[in-house]
Formats: sequence, C-alpha cells, structure tokens
Amino acid sequence: MEFKGDSVVEDSRHGYFMKQALLMGEKALQSGETPVGCVLVHKDQIVGFGMNDTNRSMNKPLTAPQGTRHAEFIAIAEMLQSHPRSALQSTDLYVTVEPCVMCASALKQYRIRSVYFGCANDRFGGTGGVLSLHSDPSIDPSYPVYGGLFEKEAIMLLRRFYIQENEKAPNPRPKKNRELNTRFENDEAPPTW
Amino acid sequence: MINRQVGDAFVAEVNVKSASKVIKAIDTAFPKDPSLPLSHLRRFAKREMLPPRLRAAIESQCVPLAAPTQTIFVLISPPLPDITTLKDLLAPFAPNPAPAATNDLPTTNETPGETSQSDTPTSNIQLHRIKIPLCPPFNTTQAETWTKTLWPVVFNPAAPRSTVAPPPQILKRTQESIEPRAGYYLSLARKVAEEAEQSGLGRGVGAVIVDPAIEEEITEAAYDAGYDTAAEWDEAVLAVAGDARYSRSEAGAPSQAQLHAGVAPNPASKAYNADIEGGPELHALMRAVELVARWRREHDRLDGVPASTTTTDLSKPELDQPELSALESYFLYRHRPGTSANISNQPQSPSSLLKRKHDDANPESALTSDPSADPSQPQLHHPPPPAPPPSTVLLGGSPTPATTPAASRIRTRSQGGYLCTDLDVYLSHEPCLCCSMGMLLSRFRSVIFPRRGRLESGGLSSEPVVGPVADELEQAAEADASAVDRQDERGYYGLHWRKELNWRALGFEFVEDGDVDVESEAEMPIFHA
Repeated sequence: MEFKGDSVVEDSRHGYFMKQALLMGEKALQSGETPVGCVLVHKDQIVGFGMNDTNRSMNKPLTAPQGTRHAEFIAIAEMLQSHPRSALQSTDLYVTVEPCVMCASALKQYRIRSVYFGCANDRFGGTGGVLSLHSDPSIDPSYPVYGGLFEKEAIMLLRRFYIQENEKAPNPRPKKNRELNTRFENDEAPPTW
Repeated sequence: MINRQVGDAFVAEVNVKSASKVIKAIDTAFPKDPSLPLSHLRRFAKREMLPPRLRAAIESQCVPLAAPTQTIFVLISPPLPDITTLKDLLAPFAPNPAPAATNDLPTTNETPGETSQSDTPTSNIQLHRIKIPLCPPFNTTQAETWTKTLWPVVFNPAAPRSTVAPPPQILKRTQESIEPRAGYYLSLARKVAEEAEQSGLGRGVGAVIVDPAIEEEITEAAYDAGYDTAAEWDEAVLAVAGDARYSRSEAGAPSQAQLHAGVAPNPASKAYNADIEGGPELHALMRAVELVARWRREHDRLDGVPASTTTTDLSKPELDQPELSALESYFLYRHRPGTSANISNQPQSPSSLLKRKHDDANPESALTSDPSADPSQPQLHHPPPPAPPPSTVLLGGSPTPATTPAASRIRTRSQGGYLCTDLDVYLSHEPCLCCSMGMLLSRFRSVIFPRRGRLESGGLSSEPVVGPVADELEQAAEADASAVDRQDERGYYGLHWRKELNWRALGFEFVEDGDVDVESEAEMPIFHA
C-alpha cells in the first residue's frame, strides 16, 4: 500500500502523525543531524519521539559520532521509560525515511505493529529498499509497511541536509556550487543517506 | 547459487574489418550501465569460438557466408537498445551489405567501407538473442563452462571477485593480520560472554573491539626485542562488552536481572520470549560500539570541550545502559580488573581460521565494486596512534598497583578516531541482523566469530556450513549445492559484504579444531545475539 500524494490520506490521522515525524526531522536538520524524524504511536498517543543522533555534535567539533543512534532507537528508548517492551506490539512507527536494515531488524525484534514511512531508502532500506526484513521469515513475526506518506516533504528535508558540507566527515567534500533541487520527477529516486 | 544470474543480450555478425568501428558506434550510441560492469564478457567472438549451441542456432537461421573468416560476432550487452535502432546502427558493418541494384555483389569483403555506403543495408543485420552471465566468473572452470554454453568470458583472477568477495590480496593480508591472535581475542570474547551470563544481566554473548594497528606495533616491537608478545595482546583491545538484555528497567518496573537477582544464568535465557529480551541496543556488539563512543565523549569532556553542549535534549533520552562489568570497565578505562575478572588465561591453542570469504554472499545483485567500500583504500589518514601506555596495564600478576588508569588506546577524534573505522570486532556468536548492520554503520574493518557461534537469527553467514570444508572453489560450489538441497530454513544474508550497502567489512568464521557439527547445540534456544 502506498500513499502517493493522496491528500485525503495525508489529512488523516496517519498524516497528522507523519507531520509530527517531519517536525522531528526538521529539528534534526536544525541541529546538524541527518534529518530523519519519527514518532511512536500507542493508543493514538505519541509515546516516543526520535531524531537521528549519529553526529551528536552540533557545535562540538570533536565529539564522537556514533553511527548506530538512529531516530528509531531514540524513540524506542523514550517509549520504554513509560511503557513495557510488550507495548510495542500495539504501537505504530511513523518515520520520515524508510528504516535502515539495522532499524528494520530492531523493529522486528521489538515486534512493532506497523511502520509508515515517507520516502524510500534505496541505500540502506531494510523494509523494501535493499532488504525486506519486515517480511522475511525469522523468529519474530512480520510487520506491515506503508510507504509514500508525505514523501516529498521527507525528500526535501534530506536534500536540504545533503546540500550542506559535512565537516565531521574525515574528508569533507566541498559543495559550494550545489543548488537545492526542488523539482520532483516521476518516480525519481529519493536522495540517499 | 553462485553467479547464476544471467541476462539477455544480442549477438550480431559483422565485418571483421569494421570491428573497432562497431565498438565505437555501439559505445557511443548506447551508454553502459556503470553499475553493471560486464568486462568479463568478450566483446567479439569468432565463429569457431561461439558456444556450439549458439553457433548451430545461428547457422540454422542464416546461410553461411562464402568467406566466413572475414566476419566476427559482436556482443550487444544490456542495457539493451531498441532492435530497429540497433539494426540501423550496425547496418554499415554488415558482412554482406545488401546488394543495391546499382552494385555488383561484392565478391570479396575487401571493400567494406565502400559497400557499406549502399542505400539499403538494414536488412542484412541478423540479431540473435542470447543469455549472458551478468557476474564475472569466480574461476577458470566457471569461465570455461560459460564460454562453452553462454558466451566467451574472460576470467580475471583478481578484479572480478571484488564485486562479490573481497579482493584476494586484501583478504589474505587481513587474514594474516588476524590469524595469530584471533583465538586469543575470541577466547576473551568468550570470557566476556561468561561474565555477562554469570551476572544475570544478559545472555552469554560477548564482543571484543581490537585495533589491528596496535597489534602490529606490539608484534613489531616484540620482533625487535625478540620476546613473546602474548602478554601484551590485551593492549590492542579497545573495549569489550557483554550482552545486557536483562539489565534494563522498562517503565520503572524491575528488570529481568533484578527479578531474578542472584540467579545465573538468568532464567529468562532458557527460552526466547520477545517481551523480556531487552533490545538489540543491549546486545554485545552494540554495547561495545556504544562504549567506544562513550569513551570519546567523556574524553572530549575531560579535554575541556565545553560541557554545556552535552546537555541532554528531551528528545534524546540516554539509552538505559547498565553499569560496566569488571571486564568492560577494565578494558575501557584500563582499571585493574577485579578478582572476578581474571583473564590471564592462556591463549587458545592455534586453530585454523577457515579460508572463508562468504564469497557467494550475494550472487543475485553483487555486480559492481564501489571503490569507496574497498577496504584496501584507507578511508582515513589518521596520525599514528599515541605511544604505548605505561606497563602498569599489564594484566594479572603485575606487582605494581595501578592507581591511575593508563591511557586507553582509543583514538580520539583529534587523533583521527572516527566511529570504529579500521577496527576489528571479535564476537562469541554470530550477530543478529540489527547488530550486523550496526557493525557496518560503525565501519569496522572486519568481524570475526566462531563457527560454532552461528545462529539462525544471524546476519553474516552467507551459506550453509558444508563438510568437509572445501578449500577449492569447485568443491565448495558442489558441496554448497548439496547443502542447499537440504533446504535450510534460515536466511543467509552475508550482510558484511554486500555491494548495495555503502560499507563492507571482511567476515571470518573461526573454525576450532574438533568442530564437527555446528548445528548440534540443540539445547540452546534461538535468540538474537
């Protein structure tokens, strides 16, 4: 199932929660993080907010990045402060970008009920982008995944991030002449992260 | 299962003297797909080089030319162009351009340039659809088989493998670097695992992060001095971590460890009940990665980086991490180990690191090599590691009480330390898919686990265990086939070496002497390590 720009759906409760995830992504962008945001929704309540925290640096030039601190983990950590792990079985994730392989497996181990994402992740995606861990047979049950909800907004967040230079990288690449692309082609591949 | 992927291509007979023009025309008109390197395929084949079946098919369709030696068959490989466009493009190079009314039939092919100028040549290009192997062959046998059955291919012993397996020389170099001490570090991982299990905080899974650059220093120093280095191998250990899945308190409730305080192993480990499995961030590998990052953060703080910036944001609660165990604390901070943490055991007797490349990890899609993922290309030009710490860190019987912790060997950001780049991780078990990807996102150089630590839920194995272990590729391929026939249920992800992902690590399975049947640990419940 895909939401492909369906305004009716985007006005729905799914749309509301995805907007909250986008706000988290926006916040990540403002703090120099890869702009991926998510919320965990349990009984119509947001019980966990997450944004990428891999750089964990902002104004700290020499702080240690940790590549594993993705938004999903941050949101789950918040949720578990108030809920037992078993509550994830009746919890949905709204995330701006398709979960990566690591997060897709974690969500399965946590037995998430379902996942709604904005844009696909053709570099690291674990729910259809590269692998399909959500539906692969495993010792944990499969979960359904719905992509394309506010896809363009999620892509624009990423584009706004990747037009910047990453001074934290070992070899920052100069990107002086880049312009923010605001166009959307048919079936255009989303930016990668 | 190896390289079975085939694709469609066209073959056309052209005038041999036009060969270079044909290539130029094709390459100009039809751009190649850079993600689909097909350099293992010959661009041309002489008639006698065609696979017999293809040759028969071609000859059944067209009348052999009077002078067949004057023609050659060109391969048009994917992405395939439109047939009409292709025919038009090749028309000038047809072996016997269409006889125009004003022209005599050429009796020889000596003037192809002129005859090709004729007005209606299009009908003389015959396209034959064939199947070609999309992946380079692994060995000469495979190359010969394909040459006889599909299309002539070239076997390049080095280059093509890197698309689906590490380049042999890098694999060899890394294996040589790992092999002498792998048994030692794996036995340390085992110790850490036992500690985790005995504490009741987690399952018996352990991880050890090692800096091979320090290993090399130790070895070189010892070579110069002519003494045995085993006592110093611990110096290359940057962090160890045990599984701690039962340590977390959720929603303020007592953790599984607290519920079963004093009982080891934790009764929760007897089965797999997802609700009390903690989560992958509490698995050994993830915790070890976290400890390295934690050390760097603390180091920055001590270094006087403004503390105000470390204020925690409401949106990122600290992941609830347990107190460090004796071993974890010792290796991270170089405190002397407590009495419970005597690890001055003998290194394991040398066992053989299996020459396992997981080389068919990803036959379906492993087609290209991303140079940025090539482990031979240092991603980072870091300054040399700092000087060795004072000898007070020697384990076990060191008579000097270490009052101040010796410096950790973790490189700080200012020393070029970035994630876990260039580091190796030794594990007591095959990591789960989540941890396997976490390993890649942390950019380890390599990952090592014992074969008997394979788990059905693991993310690294790429094929069933076959026995007896075959060194030769052909044997491996055959054995592999029979193993697949056994219909293994588990998925073989070979996640550490997949070209789709932007980082690749070398994976080694450690086979201990006497390992017979790894699937015999029936009593162990299946879980995620």
